Amino acid sequence: MKYSYIKPRKKSLFTPEMQLVAVFFGITLFMLLSTYLFLLYKDYRFSQDKIDIINAREETIEEIKLIESKILFIQDQEALSESIFTKNTVLKDSMTNMFDLVPQRITLSEAQLLEDGLILYGITPSKDVYNFMLQAPLRSIFHRTYSSFYPAENGWLRFMSTNFVDKEEETIPVVQEDETNDEDEEEEVEYEE
Amino acid sequence: MKSKITISRQSLYILVLSVFLLLFVFIFAFGFLIPEGKEYRLKRVELKKENLELKKYEDFRDRVLEQFNELKSENKHIISAFDRSFDPKRFVKVHKSHFSSLTLEKSVQVEDEGKFSVYEVNTSSHIGSPTSFYDFLDAVNKSDWIVGVNFPIHFKREGEMIRSSFTIKVYGVSKDSNSTTSSTLQE
Repeated sequence: MKYSYIKPRKKSLFTPEMQLVAVFFGITLFMLLSTYLFLLYKDYRFSQDKIDIINAREETIEEIKLIESKILFIQDQEALSESIFTKNTVLKDSMTNMFDLVPQRITLSEAQLLEDGLILYGITPSKDVYNFMLQAPLRSIFHRTYSSFYPAENGWLRFMSTNFVDKEEETIPVVQEDETNDEDEEEEVEYEE
Repeated sequence: MKSKITISRQSLYILVLSVFLLLFVFIFAFGFLIPEGKEYRLKRVELKKENLELKKYEDFRDRVLEQFNELKSENKHIISAFDRSFDPKRFVKVHKSHFSSLTLEKSVQVEDEGKFSVYEVNTSSHIGSPTSFYDFLDAVNKSDWIVGVNFPIHFKREGEMIRSSFTIKVYGVSKDSNSTTSSTLQE
């Protein structure tokens, strides 16, 4: 038996009002979740970036250390080469001064430049010429001076002059004409044939 | 008279759903979203700091590198001279002009000086005058190797010539040391 003339419509839980509420909350939930996911992703990226930065920093520190060691090495090379070049120049100046020291009347036949001394062999017209013109300047430069003479064939005298600088004072015998030293020591030996 | 509040079942559903969803939103927001947001801000600040620190290190590295490159270009000759192995034939060829004759004995390695290896070479030569030897000492400072003329130096007159014999020390980079120069030249 029918009580109504219209057909009964199907009743649904999703009424327009319910749909509106569902859409509203759906959008809200979507926004919340997407924000949350965005934050999670960014946090992950930040962690990764931090690890990368720490690695890059360590690499940079290593690089700095390496470059600094290279700088030190080049500075060592520079210092060593400078000292060698200076030694060569000092040697040249010493030799120039040494040969300038020898007067024209005295002829050198042999010279030995040692680390702490100088040995000269030569010929002199007389002992006085040697004493005044060569030995005096040598005495002013070296701490210890020893001379020995023996006659040459032509009536002149052959001499051997041995000169030393005390090691604690100086290692390289820098021969300079103007230098003077009060603590000179002289020893003269004469050989008679 | 009794007033009867009638709420339809539909409205009740909506109310329950709304309350439920609202609660969910609140719990989610305060329980997850806000702490995560705080962490995000902290991490962002921290990353900025780390970036700044890295930038400082990189700037310092660049300054040190610049200094290194300047030093390297200033001492190019010295670096290559230390790296070059000693060639007696070439040495004689280069410096022969200062002597009437120049002979080099076999080089002998002596004790290393720190990071540097030292070779000793005995030489004997004939020169016309001491001036030639002075020129040699000037030239040796500009040669392809780091060479120091060492004592004892012996000069002896032989007729019109002077026979000279002396020792030279040739310095090179020791194999034991970190061969910085080699790598720097390759870079």
